[in-house]
Amino acid sequence: MTGFRLSSGGLIDRSTTLNFKFDGKSFNGHQGDNLASALIANGVNLMGRSFKYHRPRGVISAGASEPNALVELREGGRKEANTRATMVELYEGLVAKSQNRWPSLNFDIGAVNSLASSIFVAGFYYKTFMWPKSFWEKIYEPLIRKAAGLGTASREADPDLYEKSYAHCDLLVVGSGPAGLMAALTAARSGARVILADEGSRLGGSLLFENEEIAGQSGFEWSQAVIAELASMPNVTLMPRTTIFGWFDGNIFGALERVNDHVAVPAPFEPRQRYWRIQAKRAVLAAGAEERPLVFGGNDVPGVMVASAMRHYANRYAAAAGKSVTIFTNNDSALRTAADLKAHGVHVEAIIDTRKGRKICNVIGKRGVKFVDLENGDIIPCEAVAMSGGWSPIVNLMCQRGAKPIWNESIAAFTPPDVGAEFKAIGSAAGHMLLSECLADGARAGTVKGKTPATPKCRDEAFAITPFWWVKESTGKAFIDYQNDATAKDLPLAAREGYGHVELAKRYTTTGMATDQGKLGNVNAIAILAEASGKTIAEMGTTTFRPFYTPVSFGAFAGPFTGHHFQPVRKTPLHDWATEQGAVFVETGLWMRSSWFPREGEDWLASASREVKATREGVGLCDVSTLGKIDIQGKDAGAFLDRLYCNTFSTLSIGKARYGLMLREDGIVFDDGTTSRLAEDHYLMTTTTANAARVMSHIEFCHQALWPELDVQYVSVTEQWAQMAIAGPKSRATLQKIVDGLTLNDETAPYLAAKDITVLGGITARLFRISFSGEHAYELAVPADYGNAVARAIMQAGHEFGIVPYGVEALSIMRIEKGHVAGGELNGTTTAADLGLGKMMSSKKDYIGRMMATREGLIDPQRQCVVGIKPVDRAMKIRSGGHLLKQGDAPSMAADQGYICSVAFSPMLNMWLGLALLSNGRARHGEIVKVFDGLRGHHYLAEICDPVHFDPENRRLHV
Amino acid sequence: MSRTSVLQNVAIQGRFGADKGVPGVVLSVLHPMSIVMVIARKGKAKALSEALATLKKVDVQWAGADQFYVQGEGLEDGALYSDLKKRLAGIASVSDQSHGRVVIRVAGSKARGLLDKGTPVDLHASEFPVGKSALTQMAHVSVHLTRTGADEFTLSVFRGFSESFWEWLTSQAAEFGYQVT
Repeated sequence: MTGFRLSSGGLIDRSTTLNFKFDGKSFNGHQGDNLASALIANGVNLMGRSFKYHRPRGVISAGASEPNALVELREGGRKEANTRATMVELYEGLVAKSQNRWPSLNFDIGAVNSLASSIFVAGFYYKTFMWPKSFWEKIYEPLIRKAAGLGTASREADPDLYEKSYAHCDLLVVGSGPAGLMAALTAARSGARVILADEGSRLGGSLLFENEEIAGQSGFEWSQAVIAELASMPNVTLMPRTTIFGWFDGNIFGALERVNDHVAVPAPFEPRQRYWRIQAKRAVLAAGAEERPLVFGGNDVPGVMVASAMRHYANRYAAAAGKSVTIFTNNDSALRTAADLKAHGVHVEAIIDTRKGRKICNVIGKRGVKFVDLENGDIIPCEAVAMSGGWSPIVNLMCQRGAKPIWNESIAAFTPPDVGAEFKAIGSAAGHMLLSECLADGARAGTVKGKTPATPKCRDEAFAITPFWWVKESTGKAFIDYQNDATAKDLPLAAREGYGHVELAKRYTTTGMATDQGKLGNVNAIAILAEASGKTIAEMGTTTFRPFYTPVSFGAFAGPFTGHHFQPVRKTPLHDWATEQGAVFVETGLWMRSSWFPREGEDWLASASREVKATREGVGLCDVSTLGKIDIQGKDAGAFLDRLYCNTFSTLSIGKARYGLMLREDGIVFDDGTTSRLAEDHYLMTTTTANAARVMSHIEFCHQALWPELDVQYVSVTEQWAQMAIAGPKSRATLQKIVDGLTLNDETAPYLAAKDITVLGGITARLFRISFSGEHAYELAVPADYGNAVARAIMQAGHEFGIVPYGVEALSIMRIEKGHVAGGELNGTTTAADLGLGKMMSSKKDYIGRMMATREGLIDPQRQCVVGIKPVDRAMKIRSGGHLLKQGDAPSMAADQGYICSVAFSPMLNMWLGLALLSNGRARHGEIVKVFDGLRGHHYLAEICDPVHFDPENRRLHV
Repeated sequence: MSRTSVLQNVAIQGRFGADKGVPGVVLSVLHPMSIVMVIARKGKAKALSEALATLKKVDVQWAGADQFYVQGEGLEDGALYSDLKKRLAGIASVSDQSHGRVVIRVAGSKARGLLDKGTPVDLHASEFPVGKSALTQMAHVSVHLTRTGADEFTLSVFRGFSESFWEWLTSQAAEFGYQVT
């Protein structure tokens, strides 16, 4: 219990009291606190246990880089593991738990790891758990995962809303400290569209806690005046609580706005977080610099903090880390901590400056600092230690697209690379350590047009540094990476064992991994690794920077697209009619298709079988609206289709339909469908449901890239029409009752007719006499808004003939009975000849796929081609996927003769039957083959036959 | 027989979402609409533009290279299509899409904020003035988007997606409070 609340100062509202719980204990804080500051103010300096050694840990930073003070925030479905206490705004009723400790934070059994730490050095897992190999998955990994690890995920659904949104600007400013504010203000005053984003809960950056003087005011006052001016301008969007986490191609930035993370429960209809994609014409990186820890024994004892964090807590939150503080530094900036703490009445015991040859060797204390011992044997009792190892510009975003930062010896830091005018670093993010430089940088970067305005006068604090990386005299553990418990000694070990490359050392020692990605420790690690490898820091370089700057929750990525909204639902114009008829729907791509229409007590097979019988005996109605429909018009429409299809369409008569087959460039079948000629220069193409979009893209490519000279226009009209198949011997009689002024017969509507008609007293319609079922059948298309009404009218008209609605199951049964190929056979491996459609390939013209279709392999007589198949035991069920073998052969790749593509129970023939692909199959009708079903582990005999199982003479088509 | 809007039982009139005074967004389904796609024949782009400029009582909206939607409200079903087919013979290919697309009007002070949740198109008035159209995607659905006023846009989507799209649109409008008219 060393931290406490200072009696005055800070940007907190002392008139408010916010109650919160940490590890079940009640505390309170004020509006303006964050969880870390409130805990410090309450004297709680133990906030978590470390990952590997389970060492007691307190807060070490005051921002996004925090590696230690990770908590499980909230409870139930809202629980969020590994949340940095430094980034959590305090709210009434907040509940947080420490992580990685058992049974409690104060007494943790895992801490015995620390006693055995000599064997837990870098590479320990790799070396120890290598053998025996089989033990890794079953024993070692589960054990390690249990012992190590951070918070645990909730298993409940998150009840909150997440959103996505897009934004655009002339200038995106990342960071709202002095440089960022100056840039935003300059750009905004010249009329540019500006977005100013900052990950902090409040805009102002370092001016919220540093004692500065700008334009005769305090830095804080100046910042608030600038923010107020920006807020009043319509061309400015201020985005506090927003982390720019990534920089992507085209100067697009990803951002996460924590819209309602600062309240217990978001207001109704409001999201918790919003995921932004920001398109910026230009952007500036004004993210500031990160203060580095020094590397010395016990630099992780609770109460040891980076110096800027200590004055941050004191100045902004009026929270002191202890009553007496020792400062340890290699640069001037820590002197500000000394001055600020003194001003708050905190006793500064000593300033230990490595530039004067002084060092802290060890911090002594377990759950808090008791004293420090120095290189000369002196001991200084104190409650807290402030350390400063120098400053690292926060270059992350700028390096996410592959550019490497550049080592700058004079400030002992990596500075951002030049990535072009679209994205510039300014202020301390560019390694400019003086306030006056920050303001000047901002003014320059914000100048969109005209002259750069003068910047306000300010007071500069001198900055000088002499690098110092590691107190080798330390006897206690000196940590480099707090989150992964990597110590200074691990890096020379990595170098000795051959992992001296910075990327290898990262993997070998785990330095720079996990939620903080080495924000605090990486530069120290690189320096120590360089020394051990005999290289300079510039030669060693950094590991790769990648998005995301800080962790982003899955909820934000998913946005509103969860559950039922995971993908859009596409409904046909006959959906309501099908629902009324009791349809069971099936998802086909995005479409909801009516699959079968069960009556009381029927399963899918009983229902589909009844639908088939009723259709073949009378009449049935099926929704076929999902088939792709493409209007193809223009003077060259016929020539265009001749090139797309392997058969000819330019010769098709107006008012007629023709079955067409499209090949891919490689000679394999692409898609099929019926295309009709509606006028001299107007065709209507139909595609399969599955390939509709692909065929449209293919058409666009062919016209735009291959034959732009053709006068042809095309547009999808799939959604314009409700289309229904009316099939069965009573289809004509049924349709006759709704058709206006036309007697349907083989003269007026012959087989393959395509006709404009009207129905039900004037509704525009198109009638096609085509059949997939093998029955005398029609397809009727009406404008979609009439679809349900027309379907209902047809049901009424067909009532006397026992009309039934039928779904895609019955449709599929009927096409298999008839041996019509579909998706199972048009599977991307079959040629036209394989499908029995070789005669469709024109020899009189060129078309896509013609050349390649003549390759040896594609005309090999041994190719697998479509045959019919039925079980020798007629009572047996057969299934798709079974492989075909000669009767005497054992299953093997070499003996494989083909496989079953499609099966159905035929209610007409009262048996299971199917279509298969069989090597040289057309010559083998009548052969008995062995079907090997490896999935179910059995085999049986089947007879190969003609694919047309039912009505082979096609008599029914013309009844 | 009159046309039935696919959203007739979905886009229920009333006030929904957060109650923050004046609704931020007003949504209306425009039905029945006449929508005709016209695409210039080869070499006829200029002739088509000129012909379209003479049309009255309908909106002409850009919909791709040398392609336009011609739209009108309250016309007899099919009349606009037949008229344009005659009028543009030899100049453009004409396809009726009146039933294939659903047009939703989004108006109000938060209209742009709502659409920003779906489209990567910059809708700032300097980039996307009144009369401008874009082909875009929102919530995984292709959308033909047009600005029809300072705070007013129309969204045209395939009919089959309209119910799903409406659910997304209204869920995203809820935080602003919305009215369906």
